[in-house]
Amino acid sequence: MKRKIILLLLFIFLLCGCTKEDKKVLNVLNWSSYIPDEVIRQFEKENNIKVNYSTYSSNEELLAKISSSKEGTYDLIFPSDYMIEIMINRKMLEEIDVTKLTNYNNLNRQYLGLPFDTDNKYSLPFLYATVVLAVNRDYIKDDITSYKDLINTKYKNDIVLIDDQRFVIGMSLLANGYSMNSTNNEELRIAQKWLEKLKPNIKAYDSDCPKNFLITEEAYIGYIWDAEAKLAKMENDSIEIIKPKEGIGISLDNYAIPKGAKNIEEAYKFIDYILDADIMHQILEGYPYNSVNIATDLKYKDDIMYSSKYIGTDYDNNSKYFVENIGSSIKNYDILWAEIK
Amino acid sequence: MKNKIIRSIFIVPVILYSLLLIALPIIYVLIISFYKNDSYGGMIRTFTLENYMSIFNSVYIGIFLKSFLIAVITMFICMIISYPFALAVSHKNAKTQSIFMTLVMVPFLTNSLIRMYGWIVLLRKNGVINQVLLSLNIIKNPLNLMYNNLGIVIGMVYTLLPFMILPLYSSISTIDYRLLEASSDLGANKWKTFTKVILPITFPALFNGGLMVFTPALGFFFIVDLLGGGKIMILGNLIKNQFLTARNWPFGAAIAILLIIITYILIMIYRKIGGKMDDLGA
Repeated sequence: MKRKIILLLLFIFLLCGCTKEDKKVLNVLNWSSYIPDEVIRQFEKENNIKVNYSTYSSNEELLAKISSSKEGTYDLIFPSDYMIEIMINRKMLEEIDVTKLTNYNNLNRQYLGLPFDTDNKYSLPFLYATVVLAVNRDYIKDDITSYKDLINTKYKNDIVLIDDQRFVIGMSLLANGYSMNSTNNEELRIAQKWLEKLKPNIKAYDSDCPKNFLITEEAYIGYIWDAEAKLAKMENDSIEIIKPKEGIGISLDNYAIPKGAKNIEEAYKFIDYILDADIMHQILEGYPYNSVNIATDLKYKDDIMYSSKYIGTDYDNNSKYFVENIGSSIKNYDILWAEIK
Repeated sequence: MKNKIIRSIFIVPVILYSLLLIALPIIYVLIISFYKNDSYGGMIRTFTLENYMSIFNSVYIGIFLKSFLIAVITMFICMIISYPFALAVSHKNAKTQSIFMTLVMVPFLTNSLIRMYGWIVLLRKNGVINQVLLSLNIIKNPLNLMYNNLGIVIGMVYTLLPFMILPLYSSISTIDYRLLEASSDLGANKWKTFTKVILPITFPALFNGGLMVFTPALGFFFIVDLLGGGKIMILGNLIKNQFLTARNWPFGAAIAILLIIITYILIMIYRKIGGKMDDLGA
């Protein structure tokens, strides 16, 4: 009996020893399906840092998680453009010190100094996503160059859209020649009319996995994130990726460190790790969004993912539009969204 | 004395549980429903009824009506399926009864989201049901079984059916058989026995089941998103959107409070027409 107790005590000591070792940790909060698991495991192994990785699926969810949890819960987050602006305004972010990043020069200058954070004081670009059209050419033979082509009565129940009010209403505004971030009531009314015309053609709204609709041929046309479109094309080569001539919506995701983060050194280490040309390439292979890393672009320019087949036809005037914070006008968007659903 | 201590050991956790996990969150939702939201998704601590006023916009009223319609249809279909089932099962011997009731409960062990994905495999255009019907030449073109209202109702009925069956079953199986014998001895036919004896006895259970189906049916946004293709908005989606896309927590809270008030009114109606609260807890 005594021996058993001693053994038990020894065992408990052993367990205590494990936790006492004080392994460094990093608490990351990122979009779901954004960084492959292997990349994180590699980082943990190479730097002896334990990464606690949790995810969110919308910027607003991120905002809710940060504002409702204790300061210092998370060390690294990945908000999109307009959410950076909101978080700066609500004083939720730490300033970023680029001198701590050896791979800083890998960043494509084109994506620095954008309006939501002009001096990149609080954020650095991670990668960007666009919303494109993906069309199954086995079933849809017509020319499609514009969003307006989608309101063809032939395409009844054939379209899948991302379930995102800003990008869907934005598409309608673009189709009618307005700004994607319009707050003009008359323009929004016309956008609503257009979406009502589109309604019979909509099979479903899905943000989680719209590529499945295209792969299973449940829908023949998708207005979806480009990575989803590319993954669908890998499964089914008859899918064509199209960037309509009115321009496309873009969302740039950024590294940011929330106020009160406890493991800032580790956060910089992680950012620097991802800024490496090869690691970024590994991430893009898993989730084929678009790189803002010039070193990756140069090193892997012959990669199939950089071919026009996957990038889609790029018109000269193919402008990209950010979702901007439109303040209280979001209420009108919300009513419009409820009305077209 | 000792008894008292033992009793409080059992009661205190329950009280703490209800306070911390039910009362406090509802109070928090009630408080923020009077706040104002700022354009950055934060909340300004004031007192305003603006959130409640803005619910009375024709769009939101429309969503209320649509949600009620879907919930009422779900409730009636559940009743129509559950009542005969509960009646039939209660006539079987004890062993068969327990097998049937276990079968009703088994799906509960699996996450409801996963079960919804199961339905997608069955219902979609190239899904199992359409493939079978097509290969048997019963239909020429695939049926639209989901990504519409039909899909939503199928998902809702499927998920909520046990909530109707369980109270009905427990009520029907406790009916005193002598009452039915007396009814037939006094000359009532089977239909009359059903409407005059069985139905009145089981009415509280029917109402209880109805309430337990109706209320969640207003809010199950994941069913609407998955089987309805996100094309239709019910109260659940509307509330979720206020928190997760429109960044308008106070408005979302106001709608949630209104939903609680509506549920409360339904229970009050039930009491007015003679129902007992104890029966609801059965």
